[in-house]
Formats: sequence, structure tokens, C-alpha cells
Amino acid sequence: MPIHDLGYRGWKGKLSPYAMRWWVIATNGIKIAWRSFWLRRMLLLAWAPALTMGLGFFLYEQYRDVFEDPQTAMLLDGFGRAVSILPNADSVVDGMQEARRLPLLERQAALADLRHDVWALLLLTFFRYPQGVLMVLIVGLIAPPLISSDLRTRAFLFYFSRPITHGEYILGKAAVVWCYLMMITMVPSLVLYVFGVLLSPDLSVVYDTWDLPIRIIIASAILLIPTTALALMFSSLTSESRFAGYAWFSVWALGWVAYLILTVATTNIDRPMRSGRFAVESHSIDIQEIVEEQPIVEGWTEVSLIHMLWKVEGYVFGLEEDVSDVLPSAVILLLLTFFAIYVLQRRVSAPTRV
Amino acid sequence: MNYRELAVCYNCLSDFTMAKNPLIHLEHLTKYYGAMRVLDDVSLEIGSGVTGLLGPNGAGKSTLIKVLLGLVRFSNGSGEVLGFSLRREARNIRANVGYMVEDDSYLAGISGVEMVRFVARLSGLPSIEGLRRAHEILDFCGIEQERYRNVETYSTGMRQKLKFAQAIVHDPPLLVLDEPTSGLDPEERERMLSRIRVLANHGKAVLLSTHILPDVQTVCDDVVIIVNGRIRLVEKLEVLSRPASPAYQVRVIGQPDALISRIQQENIEVTVAESGVITLPTSDETVVKRVWKWADEVEVGIRSLVPAKNSLEQIFLDAVREGKSANT
Repeated sequence: MPIHDLGYRGWKGKLSPYAMRWWVIATNGIKIAWRSFWLRRMLLLAWAPALTMGLGFFLYEQYRDVFEDPQTAMLLDGFGRAVSILPNADSVVDGMQEARRLPLLERQAALADLRHDVWALLLLTFFRYPQGVLMVLIVGLIAPPLISSDLRTRAFLFYFSRPITHGEYILGKAAVVWCYLMMITMVPSLVLYVFGVLLSPDLSVVYDTWDLPIRIIIASAILLIPTTALALMFSSLTSESRFAGYAWFSVWALGWVAYLILTVATTNIDRPMRSGRFAVESHSIDIQEIVEEQPIVEGWTEVSLIHMLWKVEGYVFGLEEDVSDVLPSAVILLLLTFFAIYVLQRRVSAPTRV
Repeated sequence: MNYRELAVCYNCLSDFTMAKNPLIHLEHLTKYYGAMRVLDDVSLEIGSGVTGLLGPNGAGKSTLIKVLLGLVRFSNGSGEVLGFSLRREARNIRANVGYMVEDDSYLAGISGVEMVRFVARLSGLPSIEGLRRAHEILDFCGIEQERYRNVETYSTGMRQKLKFAQAIVHDPPLLVLDEPTSGLDPEERERMLSRIRVLANHGKAVLLSTHILPDVQTVCDDVVIIVNGRIRLVEKLEVLSRPASPAYQVRVIGQPDALISRIQQENIEVTVAESGVITLPTSDETVVKRVWKWADEVEVGIRSLVPAKNSLEQIFLDAVREGKSANT
């Protein structure tokens, strides 16, 4: 027995309000997740694309005066090719190419007009490719054990015998995932935006681009909410976190593969056969020629979660303008989120129901 | 001042647990799981002190505890815990009750002190104060340097103490302990019971659900027996222990036969239990004094000579039997 042991003593003090109890679950989860060496490495890696995008902002804002340089033209071509798959990218790149040929003052005016779209394109590129993939990896590291370990260790009653509701428990667990996802999406995007503003010639850019921070927040929410709901649902379905992890990665990978197979298959079917030459001498066909001749059929977005997210994010950044094209993806994501939350709620309340 | 008012000054609650209002008040409470009635018209009042909740497996003890904590909804009836309505104020109830779960449960990936601190924070204690309080309670529960080890490496006994620590970390006025001594060695069991007694002396009300009847006899003031979802008995342990007719019990060192013969020579009828305990059906103290003399004559050492008490085990078995026959 410790030398300072004084037996039992009561406690007097002010308790925190009920509304903030979920925050305790969240901070505890964040702290435990942070102990993962791999997560810390991944987060570091996740900021590397932000630096690349920062270079994009820097070039756009600082090298406007030397746009006529051949090197700048090459950079623009490269950028155009890199983002050609993005919605509205062609018109933005074309606009920049056209601006190159204008006299300095007119060029500056034209580039200022394009600024919103260029920034949006850069941010969407950042959201879609590097962060889209890293999101899957990071959530796959954090989320699977969040609820499954509580199932395995029967820790539910520790939570629910306290003044905590099932909703607050889920919110606390979701906040753990949100925190790390925001660290790789919303936070770097907002930092990029501020970086862009600081590099701009004057603060009038804020007037031109004031909506981008809001779009960043909405796009982050669109990324965060369905993915977290899905990941936590998987975690709540098993007491073995590795199974939850397998399910999580499978959904994304299988969706992506299905999208690619269906898209390629449909594109080939739609392509007019040139007297059987394609089938017989496929190796001799110039791929570039096919791509240029046949635009990729984009009808299979709804089989892949990541492609649905990308589509909706494109709309949020104002680059995907056809609402009817985005609506099915948005509705599916919404239904999926509701379904995941419903299952989650049922699973979490199950141990205390009987 | 009632408990509702006391809840405003939550920390004063423990000072008032000796108040006359029942801490737990249930009226005609019924709970169904599907078509099965697991709590059947339960009406109960539990006051301060330590109350033992006894019942065979499947009697409805765990369900009753979950209902008391507002974790499961009941079908009919009404109830209050610490003055809070079971239906509408379950959250306030849980804020003022410390619950020690029966299952071998813990929070993975953290140390003992972190776990108790975490639970303290869930109960509303500020972060730093939660840590201080966690250390204080772990000292009280006898968890020393092990508190810095990951909970997953704890033995069953250590986890049991840790569960007890998390139940009392926020200094609740009412404790619900589900099998607190299971998995403990005799020495630790003794310590756990003494901690419960210490808490009761600090004015905490304790509801102790257990299968271990000697534990109940050691620490409880009152006993509630539940069988097949119905309350079969609510009584003070002192009253239950009192035999129907006064008697004395004699325990001897070695064989009691010589002493029994000697007593019978005096035309006193005695009953002898299998354990060798001799029961004298008398309240006459002169007879009792003479027993010492007779023992000396036949050279039998007396281990104890005390007023007889009813066996809790027998009371429990009778209640269970009655409950089962009432159902059939």
C-alpha cells in the first residue's frame, strides 16, 4: 500500500456539461490512433501533394509576367495533360494558352478572370487524386479498430453506463476519423488557399475567390461523412478489426476495378470496329489515336465509391456543371450514408438491448 | 431536500444517502424480451447501506440492473433512482451511479490509469482533475505500479479491481456492483469486501449483485431475492438471520460426540448438523454456561458458542424453491 494512501476520499468539483462528453471519446481515440507509427508516416506523406499544389499556385501567381516563355508553355501543356481528365479542365487550360498570346495588360486581366477556375482546378486535383487515395489508406488504418475493439473487449458498458448516448458514442468515434481526414484534406486545402492569397498581387483576389474556402469545407464534408459512416459500420459489424479493414479496402478496390473494367469494356464496344482490324491487329493500334477518337464512356461512375465522390466534389468546386450527371452519385452516397448510420446505430445499441 | 435537489449539488449527494427517501423506488415494473417476461411486476424500495441482490442464473438480476441504469427500456410500470425518473431522466441517473460490470471488459490500447482517467472524464471530471482522481482511486483499490501497464496485460483479479476503480472514480452516491469478487483470490476478496464496507461507511448506497452468499453475509445490510423475474424477498439481513425460535450454536474442536452425549444426559434435545455444529434449542443463559462445564468434563474444546442464525443459503434456496413452485 502506498505510503501516502489515505483510504477513500470523496470528490467535489464542477462537472462538464453532457453535450461535450463525445469530445472525450474523440480525444481519447485521436490520442490512441496517433500512437501508430504508420499513421504518422502516412500523414507526413499526405502533406507532400499539398506542396506540389502549392507550387502550382506559386507558378500561376508569380510567373504571369513570363507566360510567353517557351518553358511556361511547356509547363502549361504538362499541366493540361495532367488534369485533362478533370471536368472543365480543357476550357481552363485553353483559356490559359490563349492568355499567353495576349499583350501583358490584357493577359493579366484574362488570367485574373481565370484565377477562380484555376484555383478550383488545382484544389480539385488535390482532393481527387492524392488525397482520395490517401484517405482510403488512412481511414483503413484508423477506423477498423474503433468500434470492433470495444466489441472484442466488451467495453460498451463502460461507455453506456455513463451519461453517454449511443449517438454521442458514434459521434465521438466518427470525430476521430474526421480529425485525421481533415488533417489531410480540409486543412492543407485551406492552407493552400491562404498561400494563394498571400502570393496574389492584391487582396482583391479574396473577392474573386471568397467561395473557395466554403467549397473546400463542403467538399471535405462530402468526403468525410459517407466514408466515416461506412468505415464505422464495417467496424461495428465484427469484433475482429482486421475483417473490418478487409471489408473497407475491398469496397474501394473492387469498386475501382469494376469501374475500370466496365468503362473499358463499354468504350471498346462503342468503338466502331474497323473491318475486324481491331480484333486481329490490336497490338498495332495507336492508343493515343483511340483516346482521341473515342472519348471514354463515363456511364459507370455509380459502381465505384471513389468515382462517385470525385464526381460530387467536381460539382462542389463548380467544375462539373451538369446536375443531372451528378445527381445519381449524390443520391447513392446519401443513401449509403443513411444506411451505414442506421446499421451503426443498431449495432452499437445491440449490446445494451438484451 | 430530496435527491433531485441534491443532484444539483451532485457532490453533496453522498452526504445525504442516509436520508429516509428510498434511493431506488420501483412500481410494478415489467420487462419483456419478445414474448418472454424477464421482469414481472417488480415493486421494490432500496434505501441506504449495502443491499445484496440475489437470484439464480436467469432470474433477471442483470436486466433489473440495466433497467435501473436506463440502459434498457421497460414495458410497464414506473420507477425512480435517486429521485430521477427511469423513463425520462436516465442520463441523470447514470451520472450519479457507479456501475461495475460483470463481464471481463476493458478499454483496449491504454494503461490502467489512462482508463480510469478516461472514465472519469466521461463522467464529467475535468482532464487534470480526472488524472489526479484516477491516481487517488487506484491507490484506494490497491493498484500500484501496475497502473502504468497496458490493461490488456492485466490478470483477471487486476481487471476486477480496475473495474471497481472506474465505478467509483466520480464519487457516485449509489454504486451498482455486479459480481465484484468473482475471479479474486480469498485475500483480495476480503480486501474488496472491506473496500465496499468503507464506501458504505462513507454514506454510499451499494447494490451488490452476487452469487457468493458469504459475501452478502459479510457486507450486506439488506437482501433482495429475485426469482424468475419476481421479487421473492426483501428484508434486512439481521431479521433474516434471526432464527424462528431462540437457540445457540456450539462448534467444537475435534469430535463433538462426547459433548452431545453429555448434554443429552441432562435431558436437553440437541440437533447436530453434518458440519458438526450442535444446536441447543434454548435461550436460557444458565444452560449455556453449563455447556462450558460439560465440555470441560468430557474434555472437548469449544471453538464457538453463539446465538444461532439462519443460514442465508437456506433462505435463498427456500425463496428459489417457492418462486419456482409459484410459477408451476
